[in-house]
Amino acid sequence: MIGQMLGHYRVVAKIGEGGMGVVYRGHDEVLHRDVALKVVKKDSRLDPTAGKNLLQEARASSSLAHPNICTIYEVGETNGELYIVMELVEGKSLRALIGEMGLPAESVLRYGVQIASALVRAHDKGIVHRDLKSANIVVTADGLVKVLDFGIAKRIGSEVSQGTTLMFDSQKEPSTVSGTLTYMAPEVLRGEGADFRSDLWALGVVLYEAASGRLPFAGRTTFEVSSAIMREMPKPLGPPVPAGLWAVIQRCLVKEPMQRYRRAGEVQAALEAVQSAVIVSSDAGVDRSAPATTVLHGVRHVQVKKGDSLLLVGTTKGAFLLQSNAQRKRWKVGGPYFHGQAVYAMAYDGRMGQHRIWASTQSIWGTLLRSTDDFGKSWTNPQEAAIRFPSDSGVSLKNIWQITLGRPEEPNVLYCGVEPAALFESHDSGETWSLMRGLFDHPHRHRWMPGNGGLALHTIVVDPTESQRMYVAISAGGVYRTDDGGNNWTPQNRGVRVMFMPNKYPEFGQCVHKIVMHPNRPERLFLQNHWGLYRSDDHGENWNDIANGVPSDFGFAMVMHPRNPDCVYVVPVESDEFRCTCDGRLRIYRTRNAGASWEALVRGLPQKGAHETILRDAMTADSHDPVGIYFGTRSGKLFGSSDEGRTWQKILEGLPPVACIRSAVVEDASVAARPRLRKTSSRATSSATSSRRKPRMTNKSRKKRR
Amino acid sequence: MIVPVTVYIPAPLREFSEGQSKVEIEESPATLAGALAALWILFPGLRDRIATEQGEIRQHINIFIGDEDVRFTGGLASRVPAGAEISIVPSITGG
Repeated sequence: MIGQMLGHYRVVAKIGEGGMGVVYRGHDEVLHRDVALKVVKKDSRLDPTAGKNLLQEARASSSLAHPNICTIYEVGETNGELYIVMELVEGKSLRALIGEMGLPAESVLRYGVQIASALVRAHDKGIVHRDLKSANIVVTADGLVKVLDFGIAKRIGSEVSQGTTLMFDSQKEPSTVSGTLTYMAPEVLRGEGADFRSDLWALGVVLYEAASGRLPFAGRTTFEVSSAIMREMPKPLGPPVPAGLWAVIQRCLVKEPMQRYRRAGEVQAALEAVQSAVIVSSDAGVDRSAPATTVLHGVRHVQVKKGDSLLLVGTTKGAFLLQSNAQRKRWKVGGPYFHGQAVYAMAYDGRMGQHRIWASTQSIWGTLLRSTDDFGKSWTNPQEAAIRFPSDSGVSLKNIWQITLGRPEEPNVLYCGVEPAALFESHDSGETWSLMRGLFDHPHRHRWMPGNGGLALHTIVVDPTESQRMYVAISAGGVYRTDDGGNNWTPQNRGVRVMFMPNKYPEFGQCVHKIVMHPNRPERLFLQNHWGLYRSDDHGENWNDIANGVPSDFGFAMVMHPRNPDCVYVVPVESDEFRCTCDGRLRIYRTRNAGASWEALVRGLPQKGAHETILRDAMTADSHDPVGIYFGTRSGKLFGSSDEGRTWQKILEGLPPVACIRSAVVEDASVAARPRLRKTSSRATSSATSSRRKPRMTNKSRKKRR
Repeated sequence: MIVPVTVYIPAPLREFSEGQSKVEIEESPATLAGALAALWILFPGLRDRIATEQGEIRQHINIFIGDEDVRFTGGLASRVPAGAEISIVPSITGG
């Protein structure tokens, strides 16, 4: 079989063999992707009717696009070989992972929630698995569960059973039949047929098995097993299995189907509830422990070495710099810098061997862009503001919301997004700035409406592959894109809903809160809207809803994983009115499949009474492996995870409200700062008073001046 | 004899007035705009902190000529009498 073609699939290698047939790794010569090819055994071939049913079911199953379901691509027949083409999933079967003692409750819950989620999708589509078992569930290296053989395994299995054994006493294939038998619900054994609730029974068996390492209903013979399923109660599971998990399992394993959970969604919700309770109780000490931080008093500075991690934290009353080594377990704090001034934007520029930190400061004295080349020991305080609207614009700068670096090949280029909504650019490392008129003069500008935070251009995304393309996000104007370096801008909001407008899908005017892009997938953008989570796969032309399984699609912050273009972090908040984390639980949500599903990351985060708000720029990722994720709250707490969000620790509390966070890994702190470019333009001379005679101070003042 | 106009500089801005809290201008500016223009030339760093790029006094900065808030006396066009004392006073803001 190896090397042969089945349709347009080349058979590459044998992966395994089961009751149904042999599984091969195959390669799709048309779509150029690896697949799994299940070639159905000749002796288990179906009669023509059954074959038709298999095809129908496989077609139905192929519509089950869900991250926890192994996708079936196709069922085909070539030269008398019937084969099923499916997604190639690399991992271990849950059966193999369980072992003799079972898995920790945390893992059982994590996998259980995903299996239940797969059932929710299938049942919604009217598809029953019919043969859910631990051997049919694969767990990938990063903990993602994939349920295999939806809608086909049992179809073939039952035909095989009927064709070869009829009764469950086959001597020929005892393991296959009995293996399936142990997951069978009483009503199936009675011959009443399988439905959604028999899948929930099987889920109960899988959870029992995963929690304890043994099956709930066992016996030496098939008769004993069947008898146990029909009549006996499973042996109770005590600690370390949480009581809540045992209660869920029991309700799945009620003999009478009508008394079980009614829907897979109920099982999923129940498991999630246990999950958060387990986390609260096992991490109860985390909140009480002292933050892993050395708090320095007064304005202190951090010492930075090569390879150190830095966090730049902007608050409504000043900026802080946090330093740690690559382990990122303990942090030292420098600052506060700019006492009493709001710092809504910070950036680290390590291009061309420099290590410059940028900050915008806002106070009653105006808004300025400041920078330091010595990790905060000295900051620029320019005589005049470099970012200023031209006098013919009629508007004045209110705040700088975003500082974004240009492309790596343009190391002197910087962008600033400001309020009122406009974009400024610098081509001399921030010495001089100019308003990008193409956007400022856009005919839509006068129809943009200020959001709660003012009319701000808060997000700038530079396409790394197209030198003339970039995106901006404006609240509330929406997403705009230029393909010609900023001369022309087009709104890119198709499919993004506006809850607060009569026309729900206008051309522009969306209150977009954040957009992110991975440099390796520049055609794809993710968007957190004022209500709504979206993804675009075509440079923002069209957006699709990806709020699959988040407690709310309202939120502000959104962060892209630096290496995995399918991985995004968000923080759902309860409502437009409340704008705090849902249910008083501080949960970061992560997708690792580009939004097909989201998982809650809670370990180490407070899960009771945590009414927190995380602003749009108050979350960031670092570039370490594993990636560090950090966020700050309006209540002045700073949390971090050095394992991609799996576990969290409180880094600091008692800060002023956190407005922004950025991270940096310092390549070489010893490199001398790049000399600042000499100022070429002289805006001061353009002031109306410059041509006048210089006024004189009195002698008294002059004396003091000396 | 020219009677100088005195401008009082608030503490947060003194790094731009070489530390001085009081600057005397040997001019006889007729209006507040003229007095401030003279001040900007002596100490350029003060301009962008007191006025916007459109030349307006920033929202939370109050300027008094003597005891009078210029908001009620004509703003930048307010008359500056000889020997006047001009005070730059930040608003008391919350938060």
